[in-house]
Amino acid sequence: MSATALLDRTARAAIEELEATDDVEFGVRLLANTPTHESRDPARLRQWVRTADEFGAALAPVACTARVMESDGGLDRGLLARYTSRPVPTVELFTDTLDLAEELIDRLGWRHWYPAGSPRAAAIAHETVHEQLHHGPAKTALKRSLDHVVLRVGRRRLYGHVAGADEIAAHAHARTVCGLGRSPLLLTAALATAADARQRSSHGRKK
Amino acid sequence: MGVVILLVMAAGVAAMLTRKLPTAFALVILAVAIAFLAGAPLTGENSVLDTVIQEGAPALAATMIAILLGSWLGKLLDETGIAGTLVRKIVEFGGDRPVVVALGVLAVSTLVGTVTGSAPAAMLAGIIGIPAMVAVGIPKVTAAGTILMGIAAGMPFELPIWQFFSTALELPVDTVRGFMLKLFPFALAAAILFVLIETRRRGVEHAWSLKSASAKPTSRRKQLGDAPWYALLTPLVPLVLALGLDVAILPSMLAGVLYALVTTTRPGEMNKRLLRTLYGGFEIAAAPIVLFIAIGILLAAVKLPGAVEALEPLIKAVSPQNPVLFVIVFTLLVPLCLYRGPLNVFGLGAGIAGVLIAAGIYPAVAVLGIATSYNQVFGVSDPTSTQTVWSAQYAGVTPQQVMLRTLPYVWAVALGGFCVTAATYL
Repeated sequence: MSATALLDRTARAAIEELEATDDVEFGVRLLANTPTHESRDPARLRQWVRTADEFGAALAPVACTARVMESDGGLDRGLLARYTSRPVPTVELFTDTLDLAEELIDRLGWRHWYPAGSPRAAAIAHETVHEQLHHGPAKTALKRSLDHVVLRVGRRRLYGHVAGADEIAAHAHARTVCGLGRSPLLLTAALATAADARQRSSHGRKK
Repeated sequence: MGVVILLVMAAGVAAMLTRKLPTAFALVILAVAIAFLAGAPLTGENSVLDTVIQEGAPALAATMIAILLGSWLGKLLDETGIAGTLVRKIVEFGGDRPVVVALGVLAVSTLVGTVTGSAPAAMLAGIIGIPAMVAVGIPKVTAAGTILMGIAAGMPFELPIWQFFSTALELPVDTVRGFMLKLFPFALAAAILFVLIETRRRGVEHAWSLKSASAKPTSRRKQLGDAPWYALLTPLVPLVLALGLDVAILPSMLAGVLYALVTTTRPGEMNKRLLRTLYGGFEIAAAPIVLFIAIGILLAAVKLPGAVEALEPLIKAVSPQNPVLFVIVFTLLVPLCLYRGPLNVFGLGAGIAGVLIAAGIYPAVAVLGIATSYNQVFGVSDPTSTQTVWSAQYAGVTPQQVMLRTLPYVWAVALGGFCVTAATYL
């Protein structure tokens, strides 16, 4: 079933609300939903989102060296793409989710923000950042830039890991290198809403 | 008659396997059937009503209280944010190295496993631990397995388990503790190897998930904050008292409850929190307490003179006495403790253990070795056990996937347990 047929009134209203939401707020929600941040001050989360976003946007574009493969079943698993480091670094793109993304962009009139083919390109760019952060020195640089000090001994500082910051950086990098007008997180949230509507509709039909 | 009793036991296992009957109900029906088949009168000495049901039901009362106290302490660890704080600190300190986070969560799970068991233990460590591991790139099956392997590594020090084996097998707590200390290195080594090998084999995984940014956060933990550092020592309190200072099990656990309370709660709120968490503990402990009532009834039935007389020649004929054969046979039988099978210690396995002791086939301490070794497998890999089901489903994988990934490691733990048993007690 197409995205056009799936956007019921509830889904449309929800997506309109998402569209009006600030990109940084999506990052804050992502961090707040990541375990370990449950009791954090939203202002602190906002600051981390901005820092991680700047860090990701400033990362030099690198070619994806991981194997890229395409598969189906992303919507059932709630995934758009996935990076796995073993047995060989692989970026897996879920074509059903990407197709729904393209369809949704057309339906919502978001083509000026997300050009044709950009979801696929953004997915590869996003997972490439994960590969870069996994293998290279960028991980330490991101940790330092977030300035989350968990221990001080004299002048020495131990920087803590901010769970989810790598995800924000990866999305910001994808936005920058793919020339997107809005964060991929907006598209992700809209896709989740459309996928839920699709599920509601298929449950309704089964009844 | 022995063959008929074994056939009835097989029917009971089939009823449990096919989920026609809940385990506790099946065990009670089995116990009554065995008692009648063993020629027990309805009332009087060694009878169905007075011995099997009246004396059997509260036989494991001390274990039930220990389970309740463990559940109470577990509820306090959750409500006061102690368990969550432990996991959060681990992620903050080691988050850019997934293997360090997994080892840290494993350590927390081990600590939690010393306090309480089953699904509540998995929840305590896993509610934050599993998504935290997934967030740093640990694959989901490995994340679920890490929680279970950690809890199993703590199981040799789980005080309610000591109480259970001490009462059920009629052994002094010191003897149970002595064997558990020998089993612990195997459980710990397997757990650490699981994390090191599986994180290396499977690497890291990062997913662009649709759910990541859509939902507004609604966590009830928002108000909790971090527990103070000295409160994080709570899981060690009962352990140090029982293991290091020889304090009895129930007072050791009560001390843990009090320590958690005074280190996290304002005096004015203590009564309210104690009662709330105690009642919450009853809810958690309800299922295992029912099971222990049923196990007590089954143990009373298989220990009836008529049952022992009927089963002794049969069990003796198939029970290996040679130490090497003992290890080989019981290792090969490991799968029989899965899927609520006949060697499940918290099912018919308890009855079989009772027969082995009552018939004098093995010394009680050797039966302890067999039962605790199987318990290490059941506690991690059984796809029907509540902790395995919860961990797998919470991680978004199937219990069978977790079973396949963890079974080689816990099978090795059981082998270690059988070797120690054969070398020491046969």
